[in-house]
Amino acid sequence: MRLTTKQLTLCAVLTALALALSYLENLFPLALAIPIPGVKLGLANIVTVFALYALGAFQALMILFARCLLGGMFAGNMNALLFSLLGGAAAMLAMIGLVRLGRCSVYGVSIGGAAAHNCGQIAAAVLTLGSTAPLYYLPVLLAVSLAAGALTGLAAACLFQALDHTNLRIS
Amino acid sequence: MRTRSWSSKPNGWDALVVLAVIALALGSALAVWGGGGESGEALTAVVIIDGKEADRFSPADLLEGPRTYSNGSYTLEAAYGLRGAESAPLDHEPPSGEAGVRVAWADCPTQDCVRTGLITRSGQSIVCLPGRIIIRLEGGAPDGGIVDAVVG
Amino acid sequence: MRRFISITLALNLLLSLTACFGPPVDPDTVQESIQVIAMDTAMLISTYGKRSTAAAYASEDLIRDLEAQLSRTEEDSEVSRLNAADGRPTEVGPDLAALLTAAEEYRADTGGAFDITVAPVVSAWGFTEDSFRVPAQAELETLLEKVDGSAVRVERTAGGCTAALAPGQSADLGGIAKGYAADKLADLFREYEIPRAIATLGGNVLAWGDRPDGTAWRVGVQDPARPDEQNGFVGILNLKNSFAVTSGGYQRYFEEDGRTYHHIIDPATGYPADSDLTSVTVVAEVLPPDAEQLYGPGTMCDALSTALFVMGREQALNFWTSRKNAFDLVLVTKDGEIYVTGGIAEDFVFDEESGYAYPVLVK
Repeated sequence: MRLTTKQLTLCAVLTALALALSYLENLFPLALAIPIPGVKLGLANIVTVFALYALGAFQALMILFARCLLGGMFAGNMNALLFSLLGGAAAMLAMIGLVRLGRCSVYGVSIGGAAAHNCGQIAAAVLTLGSTAPLYYLPVLLAVSLAAGALTGLAAACLFQALDHTNLRIS
Repeated sequence: MRTRSWSSKPNGWDALVVLAVIALALGSALAVWGGGGESGEALTAVVIIDGKEADRFSPADLLEGPRTYSNGSYTLEAAYGLRGAESAPLDHEPPSGEAGVRVAWADCPTQDCVRTGLITRSGQSIVCLPGRIIIRLEGGAPDGGIVDAVVG
Repeated sequence: MRRFISITLALNLLLSLTACFGPPVDPDTVQESIQVIAMDTAMLISTYGKRSTAAAYASEDLIRDLEAQLSRTEEDSEVSRLNAADGRPTEVGPDLAALLTAAEEYRADTGGAFDITVAPVVSAWGFTEDSFRVPAQAELETLLEKVDGSAVRVERTAGGCTAALAPGQSADLGGIAKGYAADKLADLFREYEIPRAIATLGGNVLAWGDRPDGTAWRVGVQDPARPDEQNGFVGILNLKNSFAVTSGGYQRYFEEDGRTYHHIIDPATGYPADSDLTSVTVVAEVLPPDAEQLYGPGTMCDALSTALFVMGREQALNFWTSRKNAFDLVLVTKDGEIYVTGGIAEDFVFDEESGYAYPVLVK
């Protein structure tokens, strides 16, 4: 698939935004409550949700991989890479499915994505630790993902509404 | 630019997604927490046999009757206990009426688990070495105890 | 489009700035605890920091691995093969080689008060299998003929190490293995960059770093007169980066015909050590990493706590005087006295309600 310069630029900007968001979520002391290395709120999903609607699955996937790779490199932690890759990929799959279904609003899509994101991260934790102990946190994380997903959905909805007044229309 | 139609108005399908996530959360909670319910802050006793969690309950559950655990040829019986009868030295504020767990009876030769007595604080545990059974308290108020470890 | 890009860029910049100034989660407060039953005891390891979970699971693997090598009851362990070889050299791994070397060092150091070849005598008393009995004098004398740790040979060959006991001997590393495990845990914590941790390996404590609040770890020294009381202490040791090990006859014993027999067997007599002490606690600081060193202070504390109990108060204190800088002691005597040596005088907080006389400071 060939991308226009405009699309490529937008992808780059969105990747940068996603990276900034994943830094931002480090400020939320979720790791205090749930002491699993690499488990996060998934704020960067706002970008994924937006990209999925505005640019389509392919470019959303590219942004996701670029974000995970760069994030892993910045953190200097390949463990973190596996966590965000598995989490991001699971979220992406769930959201593509929900968008294709064409029934849910952005809220449903992002809640589904957030839940899948956490499932993916727990899977990564189980893989890296070789222990099923992290599964213990899954119910808590899923509960958290309801709130986090709704928040992400709200952010995306606000974004879409704001963009309706620009020349980048999504309709 | 390829775009998808979008809606920011929550609808019934969103509720379906939420319900699915809740069902998944409850299902996994049942699976991994052994049906013990969401303990959160409450003091919970966890029974670990051969390194695997075998049971999880609130000390108050033992009021309905003691629970028996076996491994290999060893058996022990966990029972309800209330702190207050015995006073711990160094503990300047003896907590009264603290619910906990003790091993009432065991068939091992060492009887260490029985001698451990009552445990009432998060982090404390009763260990049956020959049977490789651990009863450990989690959640609730942390062990405000005076020490982090004991030698001897 | 231009407007969109400028909005996103501005947002982006703002977010990067907050990321720099926001309070980061203190990773040192993340904690993981595991409980392991191994080496005939219950172990509790609590690690802190970013890699606490990984370090805790690695600790369990380390302990299980050591147990598999050193178990006397598992037929296939290195120790079992060494014991079954009846004097012929057998191949041993680096851990067992290090332990045998350490055991010989502390046996020679303590004039034989610590000896791993006393194992058959300990078994005769039933302490290995929990089937207690008082052996006949003749039986003990026969067994004692074989007790001599100096006969143990460790050879370093090109391909690894071999070790041999004298024919008829058998060794039990139980009196030193947990201390060695504590040494290896310290190495593991260093490797995983664990800022703080507390590990209890059945009477062996490793206090790594400090407590999350920055104070020293508080390690209770069990009152030998009240072994079953959870808070029955003679006092509390405030420790940072230290090993502490306690040995005492009260830890395991049985009664027969009104007499009490405890598990610390004097290699010289074959009987439970007739000590005027009820417990010996040995404390030593964690040393910086040293590739040359096969074992560390944890191993030393474990071996010496047993040996000094056998020696008794006077000899134990003389031993400390001759090696002051290596370790410190808390001794509890049958007469209800407590002796604390100089290096930890300020770290030991006596429990005045314990009923003991105020501690005697030994300098």
